[in-house]
Amino acid sequence: MKVPLAWRILTYDKRRTALALIGIFMAILLVFVELGFFYAVPRGGLLLYDNTRFDLLLVSDQYEYQAQPGAFPLSRLDRLRSAAEVQEATPIYFGFAKWKGGEGGVWPDVFVIGFDPASHVFIPESIDRQLSVLGKTDTLLVDSATRPIFGPLDTGRVVEVGARNETIGGQYILGTGFMGLGVALASAPNFARLFQGRGLDIVNLGAIVLKPGVDADRAAADLAQASGPGTRIFTRHELEAHETAYWTTRTSVGIIFGSGLLISFVVGIMIVYQIVSTQVGRQLPQFATLKAIGYPDRLLVATVGAMSLLIVVAGFIPALAAALGLYSVIREQTLLPVTMSETRLFAVFGAALGMALVSALLSVGALRRADPADVF
Amino acid sequence: MSVAPSPQRHRPGLAAGLQPKSVPLAWRNLLANKPRLFRSASGIGFSVLLMLMQLGFEQAFFDSSLEVIRGLDGDILVQSIHKYQFATRDPFPRAVLDTAGKVPGVTSVRPLYVDWFDFFWKNPFDGKVFLVRAFGFDPDQPVFSFPEVNANREKLKDANTVLIDRRARRFLGMDRDPAEAELNDSKVKIAGSFALGPDFQSDGTVIMSDRTFASLLRGPAGNLSEVDLGVIEVSSGEDVAAVRQALSKALPNTVAIFTKPQLIEFERKFQADVSSAGPIFWMGTIVGFVVGMLISYQVTYTDLADQLPQYATLKAIGYRTGYLLRVVLEQAACNALAGWVPAWLVSIVLYYFIGRLALLPLRMSVNVTLVSLGLTVGMCLISAVFAVKRVIQADPAEVF
Repeated sequence: MKVPLAWRILTYDKRRTALALIGIFMAILLVFVELGFFYAVPRGGLLLYDNTRFDLLLVSDQYEYQAQPGAFPLSRLDRLRSAAEVQEATPIYFGFAKWKGGEGGVWPDVFVIGFDPASHVFIPESIDRQLSVLGKTDTLLVDSATRPIFGPLDTGRVVEVGARNETIGGQYILGTGFMGLGVALASAPNFARLFQGRGLDIVNLGAIVLKPGVDADRAAADLAQASGPGTRIFTRHELEAHETAYWTTRTSVGIIFGSGLLISFVVGIMIVYQIVSTQVGRQLPQFATLKAIGYPDRLLVATVGAMSLLIVVAGFIPALAAALGLYSVIREQTLLPVTMSETRLFAVFGAALGMALVSALLSVGALRRADPADVF
Repeated sequence: MSVAPSPQRHRPGLAAGLQPKSVPLAWRNLLANKPRLFRSASGIGFSVLLMLMQLGFEQAFFDSSLEVIRGLDGDILVQSIHKYQFATRDPFPRAVLDTAGKVPGVTSVRPLYVDWFDFFWKNPFDGKVFLVRAFGFDPDQPVFSFPEVNANREKLKDANTVLIDRRARRFLGMDRDPAEAELNDSKVKIAGSFALGPDFQSDGTVIMSDRTFASLLRGPAGNLSEVDLGVIEVSSGEDVAAVRQALSKALPNTVAIFTKPQLIEFERKFQADVSSAGPIFWMGTIVGFVVGMLISYQVTYTDLADQLPQYATLKAIGYRTGYLLRVVLEQAACNALAGWVPAWLVSIVLYYFIGRLALLPLRMSVNVTLVSLGLTVGMCLISAVFAVKRVIQADPAEVF
């Protein structure tokens, strides 16, 4: 009888219950949003890696995170190229240059990625399709998410970048992540021309593709030996953990969204508590009557629990739908890869159940005090 | 609503004696049921706390990048015309500043050298190397208004002596009071520290003399012919805007001339344009507002329902609807304050701890205080207006 009774109490005053649903809906939605941002930031940091073809990544031992990767001699990568497990080893170069054609005469910094177009090291089809464009002298491909401050990104536009005139050969779709406000791709020879005096012997990343069937973890250990001091090797899995840890613990991202998460959780508890305890208060004579005719406390407590649970579950479903909609708006507005994952869905559902539990426990106090003799 | 003629006309004496000052009625209603007050204050309070945290983060986000500009000790700032944000290198010839010094109304022109991409700090405790922001200035011509920097500036005259930011991100080890460290592979002596904090571009800051700056960057013969920022002081009594005008006539068009508030605004606008911080935190604030409105509606509605007989009685003895409405709104405002005051106090404590933990300049400001108070009172009054319909319709004959 607990659930039907809880159901009746909630449907008795529909207006009030509707309000409770809106409240719990907002609270759960906020939990989703905070959590979405919390995960989106590291995903933004991993954007380039997610779009790069490699099993192992060779980096300098000074590697901090993608935007501060350090550098190592190309010879280290060449040494690994001849290893039995390795199919391909591609150097990737990073550099910042002044884009001397920004809006209103400003010179924003453009993040330039240099690579050998023949390596097909980047996954997006829009890059693969335009590899021949990169072969032309002093020609760049620009990321379509490059900010308006860089001025028009039309194909054929000539822009002074650093000390050279570069032609925009086209746009590709990948996303700028946290690489900068604007990102461009260049062939290795064009990269070397753009960053005079740097040459191609100093590499930022080495993307290693293993032969089919080779175990990545074992190969990583073997190749780490072969590559020598001053470098380290990440498997994809290790790299993802490393970048995520960087963004969540070393920046303020973890604390900002973590505290937002905590407060929205508490606000959720408050609103369910508010609704359930008011209902209990209003139905106190009825509860006292039930008590007087012999219903045990346990059963009344279960009724309150069922009320909280019903409200939370009913609020969760529309919140999930709204969160999916909001995620896509946020993706467009902030260019952060905010997505829903199964684990996140279940985690939020678990948190919502937690809200129900805590608010039920808080509301039950009033019920225990319901003394049949006092009420009438 | 023509229940009875106005009591004032028929029984002036009684009405004058009966009608209490309006606040006490709302106040007494508020205090009548302490557990209920606690419940409503905590419900409203938490939604206010949510708004306060989001507003505070938004402000701190912008402040973290504006902090250093605010700390520049000058009225007018000169930088390259191509510079689009503070945190980028775009030097201009130092000779420009010599010209600026000759403009009437200018008391002093001091160069500042800044770099974000070329100074590598080795954490003296674990040997790991990180990129840091570096400032260089002539110790005889201080450019910052940070007292700790100015107190130690004489010490900076020794070669390879630096000041470090003890609020830098912890992995730099600057908060652990090291005596020595390495910067760009050279040993540097640490003469003191200041508290600036990281921003979204840099994890930590090192301040040194212009000579140390040049030699660490370009070797012992490093020259100082290109500067990143000119910090200009205007003679007291001179109009800053007029001097800025005169400077823009005298200086080449390769530099942009800002008053300090203009440069702060320029940077704020850049941050607002490129970052998603504004919308992210406003979304949280709106959720707090809506949730607070719902809780407050619930509180006022329940309250009115419980007190309906009393309101009906007041009506029956001739009080006008307007008076009852006022009581309800006043009570809603009281509820708002009862939630806002504790939330405001708690948020000051949270700002302090989260600010220390996240190294963010989270501070209670007049702006955040007023915005949150306005939103809180607003949400409570709006919900009271929705809830009060019931009282207005209360028919004394039906209630009993």
